[in-house]
Amino acid sequence: MKLELGKIAINDIQFADRTYVEDHVLYVNKGEVEAMVLEDDKLLECHLEIARPGDSTRITPVKDVIEPRVKVSGGEMFPGVIGKVTPQVGGGRTHALDGCCVVTVGRIVGFQEGVIDMSGPAADYCPFSKTVNLCVVIEPKEGLETHVYEKAGRMAGLKVAAYLGEAGRDVEPDTLEVFETKPIFEQAAMYPDLPKVGYVHMLQSQGLLHDTYYYGVDAKQMVPTFMYPTEIMDGAIVSGNCVAPCDKVTTYHHLHNPVIEDCFKHHGKDINFMGVILTNENVFLADKERHSDMVAKLAEWMGLDGVLITEEGYGNPDTDLMMNCRKVERKGVKVVLITDEFPGKDGKSQSLADTCEEATALASCGQGNATLQFPAMDKVIGTMEYIESQIGGWAGCVNPDGSFEAELQIIIASTIANGFNKLAAKGY
Amino acid sequence: MVKGIERYGLPVVHMATVVPISLTIGANRIIPGVGIPYPLGDPTQGEVDSKKIRKSMVRRALKALQTPVEEQTVFE
Repeated sequence: MKLELGKIAINDIQFADRTYVEDHVLYVNKGEVEAMVLEDDKLLECHLEIARPGDSTRITPVKDVIEPRVKVSGGEMFPGVIGKVTPQVGGGRTHALDGCCVVTVGRIVGFQEGVIDMSGPAADYCPFSKTVNLCVVIEPKEGLETHVYEKAGRMAGLKVAAYLGEAGRDVEPDTLEVFETKPIFEQAAMYPDLPKVGYVHMLQSQGLLHDTYYYGVDAKQMVPTFMYPTEIMDGAIVSGNCVAPCDKVTTYHHLHNPVIEDCFKHHGKDINFMGVILTNENVFLADKERHSDMVAKLAEWMGLDGVLITEEGYGNPDTDLMMNCRKVERKGVKVVLITDEFPGKDGKSQSLADTCEEATALASCGQGNATLQFPAMDKVIGTMEYIESQIGGWAGCVNPDGSFEAELQIIIASTIANGFNKLAAKGY
Repeated sequence: MVKGIERYGLPVVHMATVVPISLTIGANRIIPGVGIPYPLGDPTQGEVDSKKIRKSMVRRALKALQTPVEEQTVFE
């Protein structure tokens, strides 16, 4: 499967009377976008705001972040979620509006929605402090059940991203990259002397607002399967979860999975990147056992020499991580884990909920319990009303002037467990 | 908490869904829970049957509490 990914650099977003891209600026017809969002009768109000890097602006509670894109070669950007489920993504040509994002914001759904600061100390921890963000601020109808509100918010963001992406359909991209993975036997034969490496991608699927969607399938209802890496880079997976903000894999992160990007960089040089084993993190022990068995079976069947494993979230998914590690290692396949850590504010607690003897190589993405001072901002997009109950905050953590103290885990993607961040633990 | 209480000489039965974590933390008597969102019962079976499940699990736990163990034991 071969994907041509064209990136159109976007340096700014401005409101205008129509939606188009010109000279690296995305012009947005505000009224048209708001009206499109409000086609969903679950939402009462919607307004758009622009947040730029360096602004004294805080965005919270953030639900999802999405990069606007369009399938130039035909088909939907998020098949099975918006529009038809077929054709699948991962092949053909896609244009991405690089450098801008859609951010969905609004009254809290659960307690696990985070903060993006466009400047100040917290901006160092968040990738979306460096992008120009079109914030879609939504207001749900009174009395809406939380899961219905979550879906309305999720769909609003994806619809807006697909709508904006259309503006890049006929624009000549600044860069055009090609990514390709061949069917298994051809791929194995292509670089017979290089180690065959796979990626075990664990999707958050705990339910109760912790969900991810694979071609529209709720990930807790699937069993492990094979994916071409380009499918993930091209919209096959969307985030629906309210997992702890620091390690939430937003839809943006699925499109930009750093493990996939780096494996492609090494592909044909020092590894043969064979593809992705997609699995989940369910809340029943039998599911954890069954799916880790299947992951190990797929790793063996693909003839892999080594795998990288990432998880989303922390706590009980650490068990899925360790089960995958143990069972894949026992098939004779080397494993490196990538995850973040939660050792408590004092750093003294066990930093993963579970462990196993086979887990001998782990790349840490930092720890989410360290605290940070968040200065007051001139502007808040959304509301500060929930900071104390958002994960990472605590009762009394907000000062009257709007500044507050909280753990890093309140910042979107600050310790994201796939390495799309700058925190690292160093071995000596 | 399990280890803290046992340190004072009181036996504890850990009832939780993710048995590997119970083993990792060092619980000695473990009863697997139904699921993380509902460890003691199963609302998908209706309230009446869910209560039956809960009752039987608690009885099993009380029995485990009285059972001498030499090593970490999972009471299936």
